[in-house]
Amino acid sequence: MSRNEERIADVSGDALSEVFEVQMGPQHPATHGVLKLNLVLDGETVLSCKPDVGYLHRGIEKLSENLTYSQSMPLTDRLDYMSAIANNTGYCLAVETLLGIEAPLRAKYLRTMICEMSRIASHLLWIATHALDIGAMTVFLYAFRERELILEMFEELCGARLTPSYPRIGGVRQDVTREFMDRLEKFIAEFPSRLEEYETLIDTNRIWLKRTKGIGIIPAEQAIGLGLTGASLRGSGVDYDIRKHRPYDAYPYVDFEVPIGISGDVYDRYRCRMEEFRQSVRIIRQCMEQLPPGPIIADDAPDLVMELKPPRKVMAGSTGPSPLKTALIRLVEDRQAYMEGDVYVSTEVPKGELGFYFVSDGRGMPYRMHIRSPSYIHIGALGVICEGELVADIIANIGSLDVVLGECDR
Amino acid sequence: MVIEILLTILLIVVVFSVIMLHVAYATYFERKVIGHMQVRMGPMRVGPHGLLQPIADGIKLFFKEDVFPETADKPTFYAAPIICLVAALTSIAVIPFWEGMAISDINIGLLFILAMSSLAGWGVVLAGWASNSKYAFLGGLRASAQIISYEIAMGLSIVGVMMMAGSLNMSEIVKAQAQSPFGIYAIPQVLGFFVFLVAMLAETNRTPFDMPECESELVAGYCTEYAGFRFALFFLGEYVGMIVMASVGTICFLGGWTGPFEVPFFPIIWFMLKVYFLIFFFYWVRATLPRYRYDQIMALGWKVLIPLALGNVILTGIMKTFVWH
Amino acid sequence: MIIQYKKKRGWLGTVFLVEILKGMGLTLRRMLSRSVTRQYPEERPEIRIGFRGQHALARDPVTGGSRCVACMRCAVVCPSRCIHIEYKKDEQTGVREVQSYAIEALRCIYCGYCEEVCPVNAVILTEVYEYAAYKRDAFYFDEEQLLKNWDRFIEESRYDPTKYVNPFWRPRGIDERTLAGPRRRSVPDDWKMENQWVGTGMTKSRKTGARCDVGGH
Repeated sequence: MSRNEERIADVSGDALSEVFEVQMGPQHPATHGVLKLNLVLDGETVLSCKPDVGYLHRGIEKLSENLTYSQSMPLTDRLDYMSAIANNTGYCLAVETLLGIEAPLRAKYLRTMICEMSRIASHLLWIATHALDIGAMTVFLYAFRERELILEMFEELCGARLTPSYPRIGGVRQDVTREFMDRLEKFIAEFPSRLEEYETLIDTNRIWLKRTKGIGIIPAEQAIGLGLTGASLRGSGVDYDIRKHRPYDAYPYVDFEVPIGISGDVYDRYRCRMEEFRQSVRIIRQCMEQLPPGPIIADDAPDLVMELKPPRKVMAGSTGPSPLKTALIRLVEDRQAYMEGDVYVSTEVPKGELGFYFVSDGRGMPYRMHIRSPSYIHIGALGVICEGELVADIIANIGSLDVVLGECDR
Repeated sequence: MVIEILLTILLIVVVFSVIMLHVAYATYFERKVIGHMQVRMGPMRVGPHGLLQPIADGIKLFFKEDVFPETADKPTFYAAPIICLVAALTSIAVIPFWEGMAISDINIGLLFILAMSSLAGWGVVLAGWASNSKYAFLGGLRASAQIISYEIAMGLSIVGVMMMAGSLNMSEIVKAQAQSPFGIYAIPQVLGFFVFLVAMLAETNRTPFDMPECESELVAGYCTEYAGFRFALFFLGEYVGMIVMASVGTICFLGGWTGPFEVPFFPIIWFMLKVYFLIFFFYWVRATLPRYRYDQIMALGWKVLIPLALGNVILTGIMKTFVWH
Repeated sequence: MIIQYKKKRGWLGTVFLVEILKGMGLTLRRMLSRSVTRQYPEERPEIRIGFRGQHALARDPVTGGSRCVACMRCAVVCPSRCIHIEYKKDEQTGVREVQSYAIEALRCIYCGYCEEVCPVNAVILTEVYEYAAYKRDAFYFDEEQLLKNWDRFIEESRYDPTKYVNPFWRPRGIDERTLAGPRRRSVPDDWKMENQWVGTGMTKSRKTGARCDVGGH
């Protein structure tokens, strides 16, 4: 019997104990937006924890059915707004696969570089809120100090800080400037020392260790079963990173390592993400060194104003050849070829595996778009790992799974 | 006789206003210190460098709507913040600010302060219970457990001081301290001082022991349902409690009003500086440390601090019997 | 790569609270260092060119009106459909005349697509970011208001209206020949494709050729 089960058995055997229901959220300072948890407590012990999502539902999947492929792209900014560019890139890669376009090499490098910057920005917000939830509020502001630098660079590159919409189907919008690269170089030279500051405050701190070690343990098998991805999965010791195992953009050309945890507790997930900061810096540095000359957008990239065509046939549930094959039948009549078929492309965003699934009927809009958002799946795991732990551990678990409700509810 | 009573009342009024001014500026000081530790500036808008911020806050809280939850237990709900503040303020009465300058220099001063700080805990428990809110209830429960266990650690940590000084009267403690070889008890009583510092943080519900009101779990803990001036009373109570605890620390371990040299006309200066330092310590810890979990606080209190304090008592006894005599 | 834990703290470290004191040392050091915050209304952030802020219609120095030719590209591409244009078509010449041009700023998601597709550099998201108002009506920008927004932008910024180029009108690093005529404006040198920033080192794992087989999939 695990420690958590023991705790539950302990309290449920007590005839005098009375259970206590608490609705934690959606207006709660530590539930990262509008997450609501229906808790059944016995004193401080959590008997059951049922996440209740949907408070931030904006219907992005449905909206995109009435928008052209390029019009839906700014909507993906609003999924995981901590790392909007990573979502944009994932979306563009999926549409590129559907339309059979390939971005030029320079664009790939730029995307990789910017995605890693947004990974740093997202992880900074994660460490900030995770530490704040556990009570170390200074880390929060130190992390925001660095995040500000990244956001300012985004602003310089594409005119917006939070919702950049930087990549385009078939490339990227803007080339980098000299000033931008200088700032980036300065940033990545300085950033590792800033990381050490956070670690000085929390890494070996006895309170931090007590709050995170042995809390929210997810064994590797259970993690796979729950469908966890990203650092939450790697913390449990599963070596799975799409950047490494199904590389896209410029990831095959750069050297980096995937940090893997050992015990799968909150502390290991924390260590994994801290290590990912360093690997991201490494990737950015290599991208800067290798950045090749050339165009930044493919010649056959579609125009932003995509024309619509009458639908040919509805492909959902079709029994044709394999889905990927149908996706790659290219219509040759015109340049703006809209594929018929379905396609699933996944990328490694800071939160985990973000997948876009399109069913296309060839009219220029997706017949159906489905987003496999890591946060939604991670929140599902929350209920499982919180059972039998204490109220304070829920907070540590939410932080360590790194969920963002904009992506979960879509 | 009448003149004596009038003088005492005057003294109470003076001390009360000075303490309230200190409380107001303790909030300002806290925001500034923590702000600068977090590479930001703290309040900057109201007055030059935000100097009038505490006054603006006070006015704002005073004029805010007094929200009363429908299902709350009305008399208890109203009484709880008053108990908190009164208990904290009453403790001030026995603190000697300098030689002979205390509103009431009673012989059981230390015991009185311990009793009063327990009473403040009672106010917190009542607030949590009377609000009829689940978060407040959990906060109240945590508060009761925490305050009871840390009360013991704190009491035991001061026992060493009592033994060395041979008195519970605070002025006597300071005088005995001044004659001791180091001038302050923090050096011979280093263990006791450490336990006292930790218990002091826990007693006043400050980070890393701010379980009863930790905002990331329980929203605002026991004062979740309070608004406006009733919330301000809790706030005042907490800050007066901090000043009391810092004063007790100063008197018992840091030598009270004595200093390396005499300051003419302003004998309170050393006392104030020491209290300020301890209050700064509160803020400093808050800016640096994460928060313990509830059961870990209990474990720390019962398994580490109380044995340490007991050991300190035994050690002091042995030293007192065989070495210093 | 298996993650590395920091060295376990020894009993000396436990007794003397070494790691806590280190943390407190850091916060004390930071207290004495300069703060990084900006005192906003007095100290203003530096807004970089291409920031997507308040909407405007560029005022044509020749006609004094907007340059819009009612091609409807912006209205069509807008993901939130917040641009409303009415025009009249001259039957003989086929020339369109703009009757009204309006942007609902409260619907806008500031993606910048409109300025990107505009063939004549008419619509623009300016660098003005302070335009709060008390009424929702104030955010329904009609043509006149949009032109006024442009005037305000020019007044507040350092740009010469005849030479101003927005990086969405003429994207950096794009071959000029692929752009519509009016968008080929003279730009700073490092915006040109020939002068693009190129990495210095060509390290080992890079294969030859611009195209490679490991793309999207």
